[in-house]
Amino acid sequence: MKIIGPDELVFGVDSVEACAAFIADFGLKHRGEKDGSGFYEALDGTGLSVYRKDDPNLPPPLPTNSMLRKTIYGVEDQETLNQLKEELSKDRQVRVQSDGTVEAVDDMGFALGFRVTRRRKLNLLPERINSPGAAPQRGFNEIGANEDAEALPRTLSHVVYFVPDAAKMEAFYVERLGFTLMDRFTGGGPFLRPALNTDHHTLFLIQTPEYMKGLEHFAFHMQGPTELMLAGSRMVKKGYQSFWGPGRHKFGSNWFWYFNSPMGTHAEFDADMDVFDDKWEARELPMMTEHSQIFLLEHRAKWAPGG
Amino acid sequence: MSADKRRPLTDVVCRLSDLEDGKAYGFDPFKRGRDTVFVVRRGNKVYAYVDICPHYGSTPLPWKKNAYLTGDAQHILCSAHGAIFDIETGVCVLGPCLGQSLSPVEIAISYEGDIRFFLGADDKLIGEPVVTN
Ligand code: FES
Repeated sequence: MKIIGPDELVFGVDSVEACAAFIADFGLKHRGEKDGSGFYEALDGTGLSVYRKDDPNLPPPLPTNSMLRKTIYGVEDQETLNQLKEELSKDRQVRVQSDGTVEAVDDMGFALGFRVTRRRKLNLLPERINSPGAAPQRGFNEIGANEDAEALPRTLSHVVYFVPDAAKMEAFYVERLGFTLMDRFTGGGPFLRPALNTDHHTLFLIQTPEYMKGLEHFAFHMQGPTELMLAGSRMVKKGYQSFWGPGRHKFGSNWFWYFNSPMGTHAEFDADMDVFDDKWEARELPMMTEHSQIFLLEHRAKWAPGG
Repeated sequence: MSADKRRPLTDVVCRLSDLEDGKAYGFDPFKRGRDTVFVVRRGNKVYAYVDICPHYGSTPLPWKKNAYLTGDAQHILCSAHGAIFDIETGVCVLGPCLGQSLSPVEIAISYEGDIRFFLGADDKLIGEPVVTN
């Protein structure tokens, strides 16, 4: 299946106003209604949609308090949509929306949408560093620590679900949707990516009891660690609650910084994730804190040495 | 002499009149750089809890300063994964820590309306888990 990755997450929330304020400060641009509901996009056109939880156009909520209502995947072409429709129709109800989006639920009841991707190709500079023994990447007289630099999410990176049967979900995404297993935490914790994505993961599953079912977090890729630190520090300065980070994960190598959000899930900035092709062989580790990060820092207010 | 009188109290953290009815407020009584306790006022009752969600056991609840309640202000919300808690008992009624409870902090409201927290013998807030890494 020529699936590219998550293009849009749809939320049904308590307070659209609170979410609008949070997401704007997180760095996504609003393309929607005056009341703050609608779509919020990253630089490449992937993003989040936010509606009131009783909006009649939303799929029904999960039986927990998770506010995620739908995950929409971008696919390469109409041909793929046809294949998905045929494949999923074998054992579940599939609807085709007026805009061509194919909708169904996965094996744990998470609502899914598939549509031809609306991602725009990015042509942006990467983070550049100067490293001894290598040619400088940042030229002479170019400053790296620019406090005023824009630090905007470039693309929706991944989602993480709490699922009561991780093995069943893994089988669904691998066998039915053509995802690849990249790494695994023993006992339910597969990192998965769809066929047309080279990132270490776009979907991570955490085995949990039924009453936890829902969204653990979503993440957006930043230019690099410096933008991640800039964006995260600005969130802290505005009074948002840092949850975990900044730090660097082991599986995927991505830098991370998680914040609590009014969508009732963590919102993560990430940067510099590993990419792989089909020659990769999956690793496996027990799920424990030592294995989830190679280091963890904690933000503290400004400080400078003095005398 | 009652048992309460032997336990140390924090300084005054706020006055009852500072708290709006139906709202929640975070406090940092130990100057840790972030709020570690929060209170919810309902009428003349004030409920206080340690700002740690029982789901992960060491993480804060709000998404920003004082944002501890659901939109309808009827429950306490952990905005990390949406657990909701009964305001009066601290019990999680829906979400990832169903049936578990927030740790209550005992508070004292003086006749003048000064609010202080009781501390346990180790000078920590009562109910505050010891986080070891
Ligand atoms: S940490 Fe509070 S609901 Fe998960």
